Amino acid sequence: MATETVPRVELPGGEMPAWSDRDRGHSAGGEPLAVLATRLVPAGARVLLAGPHHPTFVKRLAYAEVTCLLRALPDADALTGLGVRVVVGGVDGIDTDPGYDVVVAAAGLDPVESVEGTPLGWSAVLDRLVAALRPGGTLLLGVANPFGLSRLVDATPWYAGRDDARWAVAGVLDTDRPANLDQLLARLTAVGLRPQGTLAAYPDPVTPTALLSTGASTTRPTSGLFDAVLHAAYADRAAPPDAPLLQDPARLAVDALHAGLCAALAPGWLVVAHLPTPVDTGPDPAPVGADPDSPGAEAADVGSGRVVLPVALVEEPGPDVGVAEVYEGADGWRWRTAAPLGLSRTPDPTDGERSGVHRDPAALTGPVAEGRLLRTLLLDATVRRDLRGLRRLLTGYADWVAALAVDDLVTGAPAVAGVTNVVVSTDGGYAVLDPSRRSTGPVPTDLVLARTLRGHAADLLTGGYAHPWTSTVDANGLTVVLAGLAGRDLDRSTVADAVEWEATVTAALRGPDPACRVESAAGPTGTPVEPSGAPVPTGERVGPGDFQQLREAWRRQGEELTRLRALVAWTQDLLDHRERALRRAETKLGLLSGSLSYRLGRLAVTPLRLARRGAGAAKRQFRTAVRQHRANRERS
Amino acid sequence: MHHANHFYGHAHVLARYCGLGDGHPPRIDGYVQHGWNIGDGLAPGHPYVEGTPSLLWSEQTRRRAWSVGRRNVTVIGAPFAYLLALRAADPPAAERTGTIWYPFHGWEGQRVRGDHRELIARIRDTEPGPVTVCLYWHEYGMRRIRQLYERAGFRVVCHGYRGHWWRDTDPSFLDNQLTELRRHRRVASNRLTSAIFYGIAAGCEPAVYGDPMVLADEDPTFGGTARIRRQWPQLHGEQVDVEVATEIARAELGVEHLCRPAVLRELLGWAHHQEEPVGD
Repeated sequence: MATETVPRVELPGGEMPAWSDRDRGHSAGGEPLAVLATRLVPAGARVLLAGPHHPTFVKRLAYAEVTCLLRALPDADALTGLGVRVVVGGVDGIDTDPGYDVVVAAAGLDPVESVEGTPLGWSAVLDRLVAALRPGGTLLLGVANPFGLSRLVDATPWYAGRDDARWAVAGVLDTDRPANLDQLLARLTAVGLRPQGTLAAYPDPVTPTALLSTGASTTRPTSGLFDAVLHAAYADRAAPPDAPLLQDPARLAVDALHAGLCAALAPGWLVVAHLPTPVDTGPDPAPVGADPDSPGAEAADVGSGRVVLPVALVEEPGPDVGVAEVYEGADGWRWRTAAPLGLSRTPDPTDGERSGVHRDPAALTGPVAEGRLLRTLLLDATVRRDLRGLRRLLTGYADWVAALAVDDLVTGAPAVAGVTNVVVSTDGGYAVLDPSRRSTGPVPTDLVLARTLRGHAADLLTGGYAHPWTSTVDANGLTVVLAGLAGRDLDRSTVADAVEWEATVTAALRGPDPACRVESAAGPTGTPVEPSGAPVPTGERVGPGDFQQLREAWRRQGEELTRLRALVAWTQDLLDHRERALRRAETKLGLLSGSLSYRLGRLAVTPLRLARRGAGAAKRQFRTAVRQHRANRERS
Repeated sequence: MHHANHFYGHAHVLARYCGLGDGHPPRIDGYVQHGWNIGDGLAPGHPYVEGTPSLLWSEQTRRRAWSVGRRNVTVIGAPFAYLLALRAADPPAAERTGTIWYPFHGWEGQRVRGDHRELIARIRDTEPGPVTVCLYWHEYGMRRIRQLYERAGFRVVCHGYRGHWWRDTDPSFLDNQLTELRRHRRVASNRLTSAIFYGIAAGCEPAVYGDPMVLADEDPTFGGTARIRRQWPQLHGEQVDVEVATEIARAELGVEHLCRPAVLRELLGWAHHQEEPVGD
């Protein structure tokens, strides 16, 4: 019989026996975070994971000597088989001797503290973690932004938290914790740490799907890359949030980016800080650029306090989880695959053939196309009613697609790149942003154009954007209108095909959607979207309607109702008018029927009518006789 | 009022503190925590109407109760702490001597399994002075157990009957306990329980040692005795740091959260009560 190691959990006191952070989604994890952590943790390093971290995340660091400090006893079960040391208790469970090479508290400092014992507060917990670091060690700390986007769109005010985790509500009023990025960096510096870099975590501070360089996001507010990533971070979520929202977080995130507030309003931040050794008395060492050809090379530099964080780490949505990385190369931003695609399941080789779309991680290499996102440019021109600008953009796009086509067929990435994956450079050139999403076969140019424009039309209607066209045009009709601006004639059957193609592309790239959102948006046979723009769930939209969207939809429906009532009233008036005219005509007829001239005329006409009737009857009898005669002759 | 509010005469003590006299206390608009515990402050198995205000002893219990889904939880401090406030001006007792020892008890529906003889031997070996053993009324009524302690030369007392469904509650239960505690130099038990915290608050040196015994059908939800030993190791042992113990007892009894009488009347729903005047 095989000998099994009995999993051991250390209980220094202060554990919460009936609590689970994992069940409540408080565990830090996700692929971008795991990739970042593996960059910071050299092989064999002593690592403390303080607070709840997802077992998958812990597993990724199994090459190091890992200690997990939890507060929730039930959460220990998932970690005991991973070959890591598990301590369940409050802050007192942190041992400081001989010190850790890396301390990770990606879920923040709040869940490090238990309900048991005396609450220490954010700063004191930070002190404990810093005390656990050896000189030269690295801290990876997650901090939720108390004035971040999550708070801004939350329908529940932050100060009214009622869920089980809110035995104490942390807010921006608490001066013990940093309330913005500058304060955070100042706190870290004050406790003797040297911040090496910060990343904005979207959309969830604990399990982010996108980590963006705070510096780059501020200096390049119109970056098409960041625009697309932020939009996708919310719009591509597998499951929409359960709770209602005040407004569309995807819209707000992109707006924040353009205002240079992507970092300031991020739902959370991840900061990497270095604890200098006593001999590190000089200024911060100059960061060394990472060698793009040897991923993970940064970890070797961690101990020396030199680490270069990526520009972006982005989880690719869909059935094949993977992480795309953008790093600062010598000649600008460049792509590389940070974690292999296909982590979540064994790829089915027939997937591509069936769907016509696939993801090719090998294509994620080379420079990142620069420019502004086509989606944003189109929306901007639309809401400003800039028809000339729209015509220029759409014509440019259609010409670009046509130029790529061979025999009117487009292949590869441009065939499936919609408005969220095409950037327009300052000189008007079009390019695909993420080249890894590709069509497996050729796609007719009209279908590519129709799908792109149909996506934009649905965006306009379901997002409640102001636009220069009539409210009676549905999404398919609007697609035809947009094609006209691009100088192309599309018919509705092509648009209906594009809806089917969109469903295929979405299912292939994001995985099958149990709610069939794409189909329900357009209807399996291309049923038009409600022209009034009621919040019909679509593949392009964020989950449930937020209050702003609902209010706008209600307002638009009110306007539509007013229009329809006016139309009914007008039709009623018209009907009344015509009925009055008819009655007048009938009265006149009645009057005429009783006059002397009418009667005389009728006396004169009646014999003629009778004669005509008699002639008709004689004619019918003669024809019948002739037919019978012919029939008898044929039988004989 | 929840009948558990009457246990140990808690409601009576609170009524006295609020200036409502010594008679039958009015109905409390909530559930007063009736014993120190490591859960949500409510007694496991007691019928409880969801959403009823929980009036708890300590801030730590409030946090814990919230984390397990309780709402309407408010810290008022322990009734015993109110009694201490009421009797702060008592003349000091004659010189404190010996130890008052509380063998762990369950309630009437539970059975405690353990060896009383072994415990008696341990007490004899440990305690330097005369020993008073305080038995729960249930065990006090069991002649066999009572005689075990009496034959060992211990003085055996019982503070009274805690009452059940409003019947036979001894309103002076806590008073009796405080009086006894103030006569002794030490308070001890084989488990960390309310009595130890009361004793510390009443000025006794605490000690927790000996077989903690096993309670039939003990609810393991909150971790049981093992967890108590992990979380409060400072209070376990034959000799305990009194300063540390006092600080912990103050926190667990919520001494700094005691309400003024007018505030307590509001929180208990006694500010505008329409019942007959206190007094049977």
